[in-house]
Amino acid sequence: MKKWMLVMLVTVLFGAMLAACGGGGNSGNAGNGGGSGSGNGGDGGDSGNTKKVKLTFWGDWGGEGQKQFETMVDAFNKSQDKIEVKYVLQQDMVTKFLTAATSGGAPDILFWDRWRTSLYAPKNVLRPIDDYMERDGVNKADFFEESLKELTNNDKLYGLPLTVDARALFYNKKMFADAGLEAPTTWEELEQAAKTLTKWNGSKLETSGFSMADAGLFNMYLQQAGGQMLGEDGKTNFNNAQGKQVLEFWQRLLNEDKVYKVGFEQGLGEGTDAFVTGKVAMLYTGPWMMSTYNKYGKDLDYGIVPPPAGPNGDKGSVMGGFGLVIPQGSKHPDEAWEFIKWWTANKDNALLWAKTSLNLPGFKPALGDPFFTEDPLWKPFTETLEFAKTRPTHPGYSVMEENALIPNLQLLLQNKQSIDDTLKKAQEQGDKLLEENAVVK
Amino acid sequence: MASVNKLERHQARMAYLFITPTMLLFAVFMVIPVVMALYLSFTNYDVLSSNDWVGLDNYRRLIGDTLLWQTFINVFYYAIVFVPLNLLISLLFAMLLNKKIRGVKLFRTFYYLPTLTSAVAAATVWIWMLHPEYGLINGLLAYFGITGPAWVSQTETAMLSIIVMTLWQSVGSNMIIYLAGLQGVPDYLYETARLDGASRFACFRYITWPQLRPTTFLVSVMSIIGALQLFDQAFVLTQGGPANVTKTPVYLIYQQGFNQLQMGYASAQAFVLAMAILVFSLVSMKITKAEEPIV
Repeated sequence: MKKWMLVMLVTVLFGAMLAACGGGGNSGNAGNGGGSGSGNGGDGGDSGNTKKVKLTFWGDWGGEGQKQFETMVDAFNKSQDKIEVKYVLQQDMVTKFLTAATSGGAPDILFWDRWRTSLYAPKNVLRPIDDYMERDGVNKADFFEESLKELTNNDKLYGLPLTVDARALFYNKKMFADAGLEAPTTWEELEQAAKTLTKWNGSKLETSGFSMADAGLFNMYLQQAGGQMLGEDGKTNFNNAQGKQVLEFWQRLLNEDKVYKVGFEQGLGEGTDAFVTGKVAMLYTGPWMMSTYNKYGKDLDYGIVPPPAGPNGDKGSVMGGFGLVIPQGSKHPDEAWEFIKWWTANKDNALLWAKTSLNLPGFKPALGDPFFTEDPLWKPFTETLEFAKTRPTHPGYSVMEENALIPNLQLLLQNKQSIDDTLKKAQEQGDKLLEENAVVK
Repeated sequence: MASVNKLERHQARMAYLFITPTMLLFAVFMVIPVVMALYLSFTNYDVLSSNDWVGLDNYRRLIGDTLLWQTFINVFYYAIVFVPLNLLISLLFAMLLNKKIRGVKLFRTFYYLPTLTSAVAAATVWIWMLHPEYGLINGLLAYFGITGPAWVSQTETAMLSIIVMTLWQSVGSNMIIYLAGLQGVPDYLYETARLDGASRFACFRYITWPQLRPTTFLVSVMSIIGALQLFDQAFVLTQGGPANVTKTPVYLIYQQGFNQLQMGYASAQAFVLAMAILVFSLVSMKITKAEEPIV
């Protein structure tokens, strides 16, 4: 009978471990939050001799990103003598913030993946900045409306966009020139080019004309077909003619034209990247890949064009990017706002940031600089941003996409599910997830 | 008599004193979190703002959560293939490497090495080996004129790829445990059996296997727990795809708790997983007859 108890014990132990991970985040991590909290609390009161207000800025970019952040922080600290900002790298930032927000150790400024706003803002842990915007006369028109929308919840604005990005079509110039092709501007041209550039050797795919590795790009294609992911009622809106158009296009590319093979690019990265090594002629990706291509693709001559338009001439791409927000727990929101304003809403500083980090800044006047408008690699992105749309701001959107939509699309891409079934199942499962993950009051 | 009682009382006091630190740690880091998690599974706790009692709502939601049940089916499938193979292969290796041959220690080291690699690094290498066009495995198959599948990207083979990789990684450590078990089997048993003219197979069937019962129990329970908690290898190799066939409960629990801030519901999911592990462990105990004494 004792062995029985052993099993019970092992189970309890295991359960405890999960609990520590699942439920007990409060007990386990509280020490962390408390620790940084005390470090934080010290800055306000006792630095009597310097009179400088010390701010803590949390971000999860390490390595190169950390250096880029520190460049900006140093520049800010030198630009005035009242506020001193310190960058603190938090590898697991969002989890840390969860505990810090409840235990009083929150930082003053947070580097923020914008789509999380709809999940966190209703929980009262971020500080709205509308009053500051009005006081200092910061013009909302200087930012992309879409990027502000992502930082807005219940008509309140919670931060300013630091970077913007969107996917555009990268193509291998040499392969296009050899085949006498022009960069595609429509789905039809895209299909034609992909078909021409694909090379098979028996059952072995040697060169893929067009990468179709990521089913998550559905959102972008749907916009090009004139649709949108969610309707006004907060439910999925792709089980319709537009959604069908996208999937028919995919199926044609994959199963009739055979421009791609499922799993072709799996595990190929950095130096072996399929686009770098000329195994893929075209793909959708964003500015973040340019440094990799420049580093490893010595012989790679590539061009970029905005995403080709759909059958009715609709254009579409998905805008993403980061922002800066002020947690509700900050003791110096006024000074934190000064820092955010200095960085995101000032042309020179936004440009310095852009050139340091090679990111597209969220501040439109900075994007008008020749650095972007005259570079043939940056220009397509600034054009794409004009029509790119952010993801819907439903708190359950990412779960819907990841757990309901993409799995069904993958079945379609592997020819294991019909178009109608795919859309129907994705809609049913997606609507359920959206409902379950909506904010509960 | 009185002095004996006094001595016993003293010993008992000292014993309690000695186990106090361990029991305290156990209570603080194990018992309290488990009780907390059980409590949270009846609330709508979101870490930040709400912590209200919602009764059985979370458990009711569990019943209709088809994705959760699919992840359970995924790990059950994984466990049913992985655990027996794991036992079999590690025992086989242990018996081979239990022989007194020159260089056997070198082989023991080689077989153990994969265990020391981090899951993420190993998965990265395996993705390469399993690549549909340039991978080692499909390269070998091509010699025989077979077009291999896109191992990690196809629904039929994705879980199989994970099974093969995790076997490669876990067989080493279980082999060591079995080696220790084998060396604990007393020689006189084999000697007497041979005197009675027992065959090699009979020796294994009636001596080695029964003598290894506690070892088998340990190895099987540990691999069942590991199997049902599968996460990192699956995540690196396939990111839960394609079509959710390699998504696991632990992944969902993490997603629900930390990404969606529904810690209450995540706790309920975690409890269901804990119960599943209990059931599987009990079944394994019955199969390995762990509670019967070894002769």
